[in-house]
Amino acid sequence: MLQLFQFISRSRSFIVFVLLEAFCFVFIVNNSNYWGATYFSTASVLSAKVLETSSAVTQYTNLRQTNEVLAQENRRLNETLVQIRQATPADAPASYKADSAFAKRFRYVAVAKVIQTTTHSPNNYITIDKGLADGVREGMGVLAPTGVVGKVKFANQHQSLIVSVLHSQFKISAKLTRSGEIGFVQWEGRDATAVLLNDVSRYKKVARGDTAVASELNSVFPAGAMIGRVRSVKVNPDQTFYDIVLALSTDFAKLSYVYVVDNKLKTAQETLEQRVDAK
Amino acid sequence: MTPNEIIRSVLSFLVLIIFQVLILRQVVLFDTAFCFLYIAAILFLPYEIDSVWLLVICFATGLLIDSFYNTFGVHAAATVLVGYVRPFVLRAQFAQKNVDSRLELTLSQLGFVPFLAYTGSLVLLHHAALFFIETNNIGLFLPTVLKTVASALFTLVAIFLMQLFSKR
Repeated sequence: MLQLFQFISRSRSFIVFVLLEAFCFVFIVNNSNYWGATYFSTASVLSAKVLETSSAVTQYTNLRQTNEVLAQENRRLNETLVQIRQATPADAPASYKADSAFAKRFRYVAVAKVIQTTTHSPNNYITIDKGLADGVREGMGVLAPTGVVGKVKFANQHQSLIVSVLHSQFKISAKLTRSGEIGFVQWEGRDATAVLLNDVSRYKKVARGDTAVASELNSVFPAGAMIGRVRSVKVNPDQTFYDIVLALSTDFAKLSYVYVVDNKLKTAQETLEQRVDAK
Repeated sequence: MTPNEIIRSVLSFLVLIIFQVLILRQVVLFDTAFCFLYIAAILFLPYEIDSVWLLVICFATGLLIDSFYNTFGVHAAATVLVGYVRPFVLRAQFAQKNVDSRLELTLSQLGFVPFLAYTGSLVLLHHAALFFIETNNIGLFLPTVLKTVASALFTLVAIFLMQLFSKR
């Protein structure tokens, strides 16, 4: 008996070693047991908390990439949404079938980053970091996630200049979604958060808070692109049109990512319309 | 050991484990070289530590690392093996020398070659055990050997850097 205890005492480190290793291998072999999964995996309270904190810190380093990936995803989704909307307009009669080339005419060409923007001058321009090399061409429309931004004026190889909505020469046909009235939007040149909606007859009903979107009478922007909300409706006694002020949905001072939209049938439409003038 | 030394070694132990779990877990070179610097925490425990306690510490450390890598018991098994072999390696290498003074397991005290022999052999043992247990497939022998050698080199470089930059 004494010899046994002496043996255990002498080789106790070996015995502990064998025991611990046996324990480890039991652990390894049935590695999916509940006990192990609960206390010794990343699902355990300690590990989960530590990893959560660490990923909350490292997340910031990936934000730029995440942003870019999301912007690309949105570009794809927007393109699909516009195609579906164009193929089956909500207010069309049942017998209307959109031509497939017509329904697919809007293409979201690129996601671009705004690298320069102004809002204070009477004619504002925006510079983006995509150009001819990325498929951007002059005359294409530019949309932000929050709504209409402008139209491409010049493009070089890697940058483009955009005429913003906040420009005295920029006009866009807009439709009020609730009343269905169509007018054109123009900037009056002072307030960078508001534009005027002209040409809406004073004999129609226009409510405050109504949403203005790009209308179907529009070759640059897909119909339904957000413009703003009606902020105030006034009428002068001697005029036949309302003075409608729209609060812009897009904050032009804070633009970051924009989408460049191409209408593939735009030149075809323009040549068709010019034939009237040629005669 | 003075209380100061005890506090210092406990702190460096914890720092190494946290460093491993938070940062080195994400560091993988060419999909083959992993850095398991936490083994240094075992290697540089004081020379005179009791062998049974050493095994228990190894087991606990391994399980902690396992819980972050989701490898049930693999790190624990490899680390316990290192903890068992460590006293034999130390005795074989440093039994004759340093009889008069206490043996400190640092690069500056041991000198380059003995330090490399000590850390290199144990790191290689740990990584080999780790990867072979993890793979559990003799058909993947060569890839596992490559992984072992690459990771051992990576870990050794990290250990040397750590030693060069630590004041002592």
